[in-house]
Amino acid sequence: MSTTINFTIDGKAVSAQKGETILQVARRNDIYIPTMCYISKTSPCASCRICSVEAEGVDGFILSCNTPPTEGINIKTNSAELEQERVNIMKLYDVNHPLECGVCDKSGECDLQNKTLEFGVAQQNFSAKDQLRTVKDWGLINYDPALCIMCEKCVHVCNEVIGDDAIEVKFGGYSSTIIPKESETLDCTFCGECIAVCPVGALVSSDFKYSANAWELSRVPSTCAHCSAGCPLEYETRHSGINGDDSIYRVKNNFEFTSLCGAGRFGFDFNNTERSTSEDFQKALEALKSAKAIRFSSMITNEEAHILQRLKEKLDLKLFNEDARLYASFMNSYASVSGKLHYSGSLDAIKQADAAIVIGTRIATDNPGVRYALTTASKHNGAKIVYAHPMEDALMQNTVTQFMKYEVGTEEGVMALIANELLKNKELPKEIRKYFNELDLGYLEAESNVGDDELTLMTKSFARAQNKVLIIGADIFAHKRASNIAKLAAIIEKYTDFSLVVVPNEVNTLGVSLVCDLDVDEDLSNVVGYNAHGEFIISSLDGADLSVGALNQQEGTVVSIDNRVLPLNVALPFDGYTLNDIASAFDIKTKHTIDYTKELDSSKGFKSIAFDDLENFLSPYGDDERGYILDEVVCPVDETLEEVAELPEYNGTVVYHANPVLQFNRYTAKTKQLEKDTTLRGSAQFAAAAKIADGDEIKIHLRSGVVKRTFKLDEELKGTIALNPTFDILVDMSGYRFEKSKIVRVV
Amino acid sequence: MSLEAFNNRNVTEGDYFLCDIEDYPQDGWGKFKRVVKRTFRGELFVGLWVVMREMIRFDIHTIQYPQEKMPIGPRYRAVHQMKRLWESDTERCIGCGLCEKICISDCIRIDTRIDENSRKEVTEYTINLGRCIFCGYCAEVCPELAITHGGEYENASDQREHFLLYEDMLTPIDKMKAGKQLEFEGFGSITPHEDERVKKTPLAY
Repeated sequence: MSTTINFTIDGKAVSAQKGETILQVARRNDIYIPTMCYISKTSPCASCRICSVEAEGVDGFILSCNTPPTEGINIKTNSAELEQERVNIMKLYDVNHPLECGVCDKSGECDLQNKTLEFGVAQQNFSAKDQLRTVKDWGLINYDPALCIMCEKCVHVCNEVIGDDAIEVKFGGYSSTIIPKESETLDCTFCGECIAVCPVGALVSSDFKYSANAWELSRVPSTCAHCSAGCPLEYETRHSGINGDDSIYRVKNNFEFTSLCGAGRFGFDFNNTERSTSEDFQKALEALKSAKAIRFSSMITNEEAHILQRLKEKLDLKLFNEDARLYASFMNSYASVSGKLHYSGSLDAIKQADAAIVIGTRIATDNPGVRYALTTASKHNGAKIVYAHPMEDALMQNTVTQFMKYEVGTEEGVMALIANELLKNKELPKEIRKYFNELDLGYLEAESNVGDDELTLMTKSFARAQNKVLIIGADIFAHKRASNIAKLAAIIEKYTDFSLVVVPNEVNTLGVSLVCDLDVDEDLSNVVGYNAHGEFIISSLDGADLSVGALNQQEGTVVSIDNRVLPLNVALPFDGYTLNDIASAFDIKTKHTIDYTKELDSSKGFKSIAFDDLENFLSPYGDDERGYILDEVVCPVDETLEEVAELPEYNGTVVYHANPVLQFNRYTAKTKQLEKDTTLRGSAQFAAAAKIADGDEIKIHLRSGVVKRTFKLDEELKGTIALNPTFDILVDMSGYRFEKSKIVRVV
Repeated sequence: MSLEAFNNRNVTEGDYFLCDIEDYPQDGWGKFKRVVKRTFRGELFVGLWVVMREMIRFDIHTIQYPQEKMPIGPRYRAVHQMKRLWESDTERCIGCGLCEKICISDCIRIDTRIDENSRKEVTEYTINLGRCIFCGYCAEVCPELAITHGGEYENASDQREHFLLYEDMLTPIDKMKAGKQLEFEGFGSITPHEDERVKKTPLAY
């Protein structure tokens, strides 16, 4: 049976893959069919009927967006009747549509405006009694039902791509509206994807509303600088006030193919407004001369990391970055088994997967990009998703098919059990088979609390899967047994058809781990902090001794979860000192920081491509043309696995370092729009164990010091683990994310 | 009239004729003679005589500016004005920002926000008259006929930057109430009898 279907559109011979619709084939072949409600990344809404086409031998019109072609059929996209039909649909859309284009935020980029002009609808021939429709304020999002054309795009993305499932259509003919699902007001993660896809001005950002118009804003294509998903976005800037200093007004994305979480969309004003004097610069040089080490965060570009590495070599310093160091050591252990440096998976692989295992991460808040990919996989491929974690996550409830709860600290055991289960009927080298045969499964199952039946259920649900992904997250990197877990993951990737994704913590953890040669963080005195704590702080955050530009104020590259090197561009100017100026003072000279882009280490997979030659766009067909993917690097193989160590026990009140939605780090904490919930959230059971109540002021004793917080009772949580946000404090990334802690009520 | 006569560059036909121009002097003596001739030709006295003649006749056309001013045409493009709506006396400007966008000398700055009644409100609007070239694009692009050029041309300043604020341009409310707001009659303005041409939206309920 052949998988391609040959047919013609407007006399042009085209061919479709199995499962493709007429519209998809037409678009791929550059044949124009107008649409109002179609959006590539979701299943067709089929609410507008403008995409109707004629098929030879078929009575009436057929919808091209949800109809697959049959062999040899002749499709006509244009005829007098079709034109009449489309004009009538447009006329109906325009009935009583408020004539407020002059002030409407969408004016100038409005689908309704464009299509009304395209079909030449100049007057209203139909009438309907207008109704009172009041504007709804849903926090960051504002909904005006009078402008809504009921295309249902927002409902589809919310349900199929984001997974919040927070809005629905209230059916009622002409009085239909979009309403929050099972709630008075909108209760969701505020990704703002509904704003992005809205073809009219019905759903808009409350902050942006009426502050500027499409034609006043200049666009700067860049990459989101909050997490490692590396989502493409466009900063839209305009001068603000009469003095004319530029500021970012909003962020937009190519919603047709990609998604953006709320942090990217609403958390754009993290630029550094502080400027330093030349005395500060001299002090920075002095501090570096006498420094023993530089401590830095992973919220920097590859080029900056490269400069730091050069400084390390030149000044004989140590480089501290626990986050990237632990990631690097995890990946090195992985490489020692798999024989290659980079993992095989990507966000696209997750989107196309029909089976996935997520382990060691609260993924919905750690990396929304992965969450959206998982939602897409679940809704479009019916993917079976196993979510292994000590805590359930309400945000993943709609997506996850099997929750595999394990005890805190037993990740190594769980990984061994999963590996053993997945490798059961696979061909393995003798040594490895012997290793698995010798595993004390009974002990591991008992200690980790992952039952035999759970593992069997997983295997059963994966039985028919073709594309499988294993996703490993941040809990593992700082685990004492991270190295062996990495090796087990590599074995799974190597001997099964699973691809692997190791989710980096921060925006450029992956890049830094490749570029820098990092040392173990000793608590030295005389450490210069670069976007991190130290005696002398060079930072793009407030309160620095020397201010440098934030990631939306500089050019450079970061490495995303896809192992893709992505360019960042300057949205706002930074008229101050950069790391390159400091390096130049130490005779590591180049004119621009981005001159280092082509000098990045090719032995780690970087290509020798200059920054200005990097592309940053998605093609009209949705192909990702941004930057480049790292070359694969071959590593020496040593397949010896370590014995699974005794599984630790975590009793009493355990705190898990996990951020609330839309918060990642101190940059997102700086932004105006994002909610800053710094409370410790725990269940009633946790409150009882810690002897605290809702609203209590508490002190939490952690490895890195004492933190003061307010306790908030969260109905959605269970068990004796509470969530401690880390975005507002400097956290010690070197430790395991779960922590036994003493919690004291402040009287 | 066709443009053919102007486009015809063939000088041998048509009404072309040669001017009778004296040859330029080639040597020093010749140049000296020309200077002397031009100096004592007495053309100066022709002008003086005209002045003298008109003074005696008392036929004086001078306007005593600034006490006296000439009337100015409605399409003259001088300092901008912001109009109000006739029906409600509120501002016509909706804050669309098209004037700022089209301004070729980049002298207009506008800032808007959402006000307490969920309407778009102009918070800042300035025109830097030091940069403005009075091209009239802002008035032409304005969809509401809100910004127009007035006849006020006296905008000398002791500074290169000279800002005109929104309040300065807006028709004063007492003038508006008195019905003395002048309507712009230039390009893009509403043609007379426009209301007779307006079609009604069908409202058959």
